[in-house]
Amino acid sequence: MKKVILVADDSPTIRKFVSFALTMKGYEIITASDGMEALEKIPNEKLDLIITDLNMPNIDGFELIKTIRENELYKEIPIIILSSLGSSEEIEKGMAYGANSYLVKPFDPKRILYEVAKYLN
Amino acid sequence: MKRVENMTQLFDKLNDLKSVFSYGQKIIPIIQSLIDFMKETVPLLETINKSIAESTSKIPRAQDQINNITNATEMATTEILDIVDIISDDIQKVENTVKAIDEKEKNRAGIRIKLRTYLQGNTEALALLDEYEKGDFISETINDLLESFQKIKNDAYNITLSLQVQDVTAQQLAAVNHLIDSVQGKLASLINDLTDGESQKDIEKVITPAIGTFDPNANYETSGQRQIETDSIIQESKSKQSQDDIDKLFA
Repeated sequence: MKKVILVADDSPTIRKFVSFALTMKGYEIITASDGMEALEKIPNEKLDLIITDLNMPNIDGFELIKTIRENELYKEIPIIILSSLGSSEEIEKGMAYGANSYLVKPFDPKRILYEVAKYLN
Repeated sequence: MKRVENMTQLFDKLNDLKSVFSYGQKIIPIIQSLIDFMKETVPLLETINKSIAESTSKIPRAQDQINNITNATEMATTEILDIVDIISDDIQKVENTVKAIDEKEKNRAGIRIKLRTYLQGNTEALALLDEYEKGDFISETINDLLESFQKIKNDAYNITLSLQVQDVTAQQLAAVNHLIDSVQGKLASLINDLTDGESQKDIEKVITPAIGTFDPNANYETSGQRQIETDSIIQESKSKQSQDDIDKLFA
């Protein structure tokens, strides 16, 4: 059975890049264009992992992570941040909110595959 | 005596008045040139005002252009990625077929080895088999092909990395649009002050992305240095956390 990954990013190209890299390795990808859409989709899918951007309209990545970590049903889902923000404050904040990994854009597809495999294989 | 004093005072006052008039005579040309300057400046100010209003009304068009660039590059990038996706799929299919051929060839090679043992002593048949195997270059060719497929797949992978420049430029353009937006706001309020709000109603407004939805400092850096720095920040933070836990335990 394919592992299901939710990719939340407001950039259609980034959603495409991540989907491209991960579907090639046999993962099933669901996408969301912001935190709100991600939260709407989470209950409908049996997710194995979430990859999220931080800068997003409506609900940003920090808020999305916080909401997931506060929910008993989904709090164990591994979360990878994929953002162009790379200051120590933002990285520490993201990890403190409950992310498992932090990747900066532009990302190396091999690194994202490595991080995903770390939690799913 | 009193009368003489009064006369002296009167003369003093008249002298003061004379000084005022003589000063006035000096200042009149300056006032005149000031009035002339004001007369010349007023139309100039009106022109500036009109020019600001025109520039302000053009700003939404500039913002539209920037949005169009972002949309066009986004569309082109998505199309390129779709094509890369198709190429990768096709390469995978061809690679699978070649691997299947390779497998069959290996089976055939096994059969040929068996055949050679069965044909021991039959020189004519063995010569024919040697002749047949001379043209056997499939195994080498297959290896070359598999190497080429791997190279194409790696190249396709690298294209995805390079195309991320679109996301970075989109964020930078969003930041530029935001700056333009704030300039437009300032100009619009200036026009509002100058024209009592008459011109401002004509200024079109373009929707720009809200702050926090883009990173104005996004840059296209593919050396991996930023990820190394990120990893080390996380590592430092984790070790600090562990130390804090140890300290708490022994407190």
